[in-house]
Amino acid sequence: MEQLLISIFLIVALLGVLASGLWIGLGLMATGWLAMELFTQRPAGDAMVTTIWGASSSWTLTSLPMFIWMGEILFRTKLSENMFLGLSPWMQRLPGRLLHTNIVGCTIFAAISGSSAATCATIGKMTIPELRKRGYPETLIVGTLAGAGTLGLLIPPSIIMIVYGVAADQSIAQLFIAGVIPGLMLSAMFMAYVVVWALIYPSKVPKPDGTPGFLEKIYASRHLIPSVFLIVMVLGSIYSGIATATEAAAMGVVGALLLSLVQGSLTRETFMASLLGATRLSCMIALILAGAAFLTLAMGYTGLPRKLAEWISSMELSPYALIAALTVFYVILGCFLDGISMVVLTMAVVLPMIQAAGLDLVWFGIFVVLVVEMAQITPPVGFNLFVLQGMTGHQITYIGRAALPLFLLMVVAVAMITVWPEIVTFLPNRMLRG
Amino acid sequence: MRPVLDRIYDGCAYAAGLFLVLILVFTLLGVAGGIFDFYVRGTDAFAGYCMAASSFLALAHTFRKGEHIRVTLILQQLSGRTRRWFELGCLALGAVLAGAFAAYAAKMVWWSYAFNDVSAGNDRTPLWIPQIGMAAGGLILFVAMVDELIQVAQGKDPSAASPADEPAHIE
Repeated sequence: MEQLLISIFLIVALLGVLASGLWIGLGLMATGWLAMELFTQRPAGDAMVTTIWGASSSWTLTSLPMFIWMGEILFRTKLSENMFLGLSPWMQRLPGRLLHTNIVGCTIFAAISGSSAATCATIGKMTIPELRKRGYPETLIVGTLAGAGTLGLLIPPSIIMIVYGVAADQSIAQLFIAGVIPGLMLSAMFMAYVVVWALIYPSKVPKPDGTPGFLEKIYASRHLIPSVFLIVMVLGSIYSGIATATEAAAMGVVGALLLSLVQGSLTRETFMASLLGATRLSCMIALILAGAAFLTLAMGYTGLPRKLAEWISSMELSPYALIAALTVFYVILGCFLDGISMVVLTMAVVLPMIQAAGLDLVWFGIFVVLVVEMAQITPPVGFNLFVLQGMTGHQITYIGRAALPLFLLMVVAVAMITVWPEIVTFLPNRMLRG
Repeated sequence: MRPVLDRIYDGCAYAAGLFLVLILVFTLLGVAGGIFDFYVRGTDAFAGYCMAASSFLALAHTFRKGEHIRVTLILQQLSGRTRRWFELGCLALGAVLAGAFAAYAAKMVWWSYAFNDVSAGNDRTPLWIPQIGMAAGGLILFVAMVDELIQVAQGKDPSAASPADEPAHIE
């Protein structure tokens, strides 16, 4: 009983520290320290630095800065313009026309970039002004971009998957490959939504720019070659087993540098800006991961995760009920926390529960990524909302409302992968090398 | 004092960037080794050490730029004196944590050196060398926190008040 009280006290302390505005990584450390002092005789400080050193110098983690750097380089190239030029001729005939450039553009860029906000920003940089100029309805421009931008998380490479893989000790290559089918499925669902919408309100869709012939379309597609080249290089090498996630990321950095050199956007300034930007972002994530590693160790001493797992399994919930409960839990959490903090904060407690319920941890990773995607577009805290607020000048609540239909489609996607887990596990089970 | 401190933060950030480039170099060496059939000892371990060095050395610079994530929902609701007291509280707690971290990290470096602790991998690196990065980064973060604490206490605005405007920098 006393232990339970102290555990509750710890959780309250953690929430209090985070809410007060202390930097999240440091807040995790502080709570870990408190837990060590309350539950063990072990010297907290030494345990902290030992754990953090182990977590921070791990080789698995090195794929993180490499993918981030690759994204930072590409953000500063002309890739965004190329994507629009290459895609728009193909979309003229589809109901909804150029709105699909948002979705398909994000899908393709998601396969190069590991971040949802970067995907959103890179594609939106070009499509927002172009679509506005042609008179597409604002809610759909903003909504599809906010929703499809989150594919950056689900379609590999993915920063959040690396974070999950490190926290849950799962193969990052397997997680990446597991995200491919659900990502494409979600992207198709978004497109279907736009098609249905356009069929209901045909008058709201502006006229096509002209009807390009087939050869013209093919010729315009040359703009997509650099993106496709990068995708094949990075994902192809992971799936075929030639390269690990880190090696693929390193080759991706080289490919991105070459691309930006060929396009003439590689200068001393852009190189340094991309390098320092990547350094800061990966430092920010590394601090959270360091704090989380220590908190996980300390939480182990409290026995709380084990108790919670026993309690959950004693309730004998069906996996469906457990997943439904976790979805609600994460969506609520996602209103207030960013995705990375959400994943690392909950792993210590949720993973034992998931293992006790007999769920596959790669599958669970994809589930977590999907709910984090939802968190990206739920107000008041959601990074895609922040990005789009900066780019369009709309209120966060407006953007959240515009993205609501896509949010609901993600809920459907979670239900689908729960009922048919093969959507996730099909590809990883057929990989050449784990 | 101001220019000296800023130069230290920035200098460490450039060093952190250099370690990021080194991760790339070590990883590519491993890839090249696979293709051209040669073997460089311990590239994986070196990449890991570079990762740690890069992460810790960049801490202060990232902090100054306001890019360490924090929950600002409550902070944003506050204004004037209350907000300043909250900021001061966060900075004081942050300084204590960073200071403790730096001190224990320095102790770890010393023990690794005194007991001649060597990496368990095939690189056989004496561990105190890469661990220096962690202690140094913690120390500079501590300095940056105290620096900021003094600034805010003197009534100046937090240097990291406005988060970076480049959207690609998040998640």
